[in-house]
Amino acid sequence: MSISANLKYTKEHEWVRIDGDTATFGISDHAQAALGDIVFVELPEIGRNLDAAEAYAVVESVKAVSDIYAPVAGEVIEVNALLEAEHEKLNTDPYGNGWIAKVKMSGNSDELMSDHEYAVFLEE
Amino acid sequence: MSTLLRTPLYDEHVALGGKIVPFAGYDLPVQYKNGALKEYTAVREGEAGLFDITHMGQVRIEGKEALAFLQYVSTNDVSKLVDGQVQYSALLNEQGTFIDDITTYKISDKAYYLCINAANRHKDVAHLQQQAVKFSVTVTDDSDGTTLLALQGAKAQAALQALIDIDLESIAYYRFARGKIGLNGSTSGGIISRTGYTGEDGFEIYIPNSFAVSMWKALLENGAVPIGLAARDMLRTEMGYALYGHEISDAVTPVEAKLMWITKLDKSDFIGKQAVEKRKGEGAKKRLIAIKLTGRGIPREHYKVFVGGVESGEITSGMYSPMAGGVALAYVKPEHAESGAITVEIRGKQVSAERTTLPFIRSNVRK
Repeated sequence: MSISANLKYTKEHEWVRIDGDTATFGISDHAQAALGDIVFVELPEIGRNLDAAEAYAVVESVKAVSDIYAPVAGEVIEVNALLEAEHEKLNTDPYGNGWIAKVKMSGNSDELMSDHEYAVFLEE
Repeated sequence: MSTLLRTPLYDEHVALGGKIVPFAGYDLPVQYKNGALKEYTAVREGEAGLFDITHMGQVRIEGKEALAFLQYVSTNDVSKLVDGQVQYSALLNEQGTFIDDITTYKISDKAYYLCINAANRHKDVAHLQQQAVKFSVTVTDDSDGTTLLALQGAKAQAALQALIDIDLESIAYYRFARGKIGLNGSTSGGIISRTGYTGEDGFEIYIPNSFAVSMWKALLENGAVPIGLAARDMLRTEMGYALYGHEISDAVTPVEAKLMWITKLDKSDFIGKQAVEKRKGEGAKKRLIAIKLTGRGIPREHYKVFVGGVESGEITSGMYSPMAGGVALAYVKPEHAESGAITVEIRGKQVSAERTTLPFIRSNVRK
């Protein structure tokens, strides 16, 4: 199971990459492996304001429907439309081409785990 | 049931990276390490998929009134079977609703073999034994000693033929051979039928538990790919095959479930016949239809179906088909079965769909 460095993580196995006031969201390698083959992604609308921990996207695997939660609060400014056709990128490249959405942050990321903390969390 | 049962192949499933889930009282693999989609693809695109379906039950019906008994307890016309033939059928209660759907194997006029659903096994056996007191017949539950494997896909015959003496080419669709199966120098009795639940050519293999691991390993060595429950459900749903607890249950009759083709009202009396005749005369309470989403999304079990903006019923089986997209079976009000714009409610939104015909994709069974 890989954990990408320089990202922050939630206990729901989402990651966030923070660059200035822009945050990019995705799901961790652990999450994609637990979900299994992903066959559908429902992306949020541009301009939607998200609270931290709000369900903002839906990922469906062969057997299950899963909500994906925002790691930090913010306004959606971009979504990865590639996933609508190539949903398997969430399985094959969760930290790269499998990113889900970008937001303009309106909150902080103090509650999130570092990669090291997430590794420990996965061990528990 | 407090503890989950394991088939003789449990350790094999774990060794192959099987993700074990509870299913019908058993610990079974929902998928192996490469995932459900690759397993699905192996079966659909020319390989041989190997399924442990040992959880299913087997019942022997023996005695001089075996035929009369089965005519009375099951819906299809058992007198049409020749020795070595298999028939899809159902057990109904007096209300005409389903106790189970079954396959009936005719060994002789005095000996039949039934394959029944795992979740219904004890209910079925109790029902059959209760009815058997009126006939000169014995009902024997063989489930605990029997391993059932399904081998499905274009390469199924080649993978199995290399292991056994029975000439598989001589077994036609819905026929079976019964006899000695030799494997690694030992032999045992078994049944091999050209049947399945996937829409591909293939076999179902009934062997004693003592043979399970060696048969499983030999088939894998011959190139078969292990397939879990998730891919199995995808394959059966694409064919539109009914599954107990989904399309059929004790709440519907064959009139609703589109299973009048296995319900022979012109044969002698059988349990549920009067109720089915009555329902047929009154008309179905609801009707099973096949739909395909034209909007984005995956239709799933229990999602509501609307026709002309009015709630009409719900999905009984739904899936993402790599070949056909979002497809589902659904019950709707009888007046909505043929016409009216269909939508499926997905997370509060109406997603457009259209009626289609079954199977959702082409069947490759050898008819």
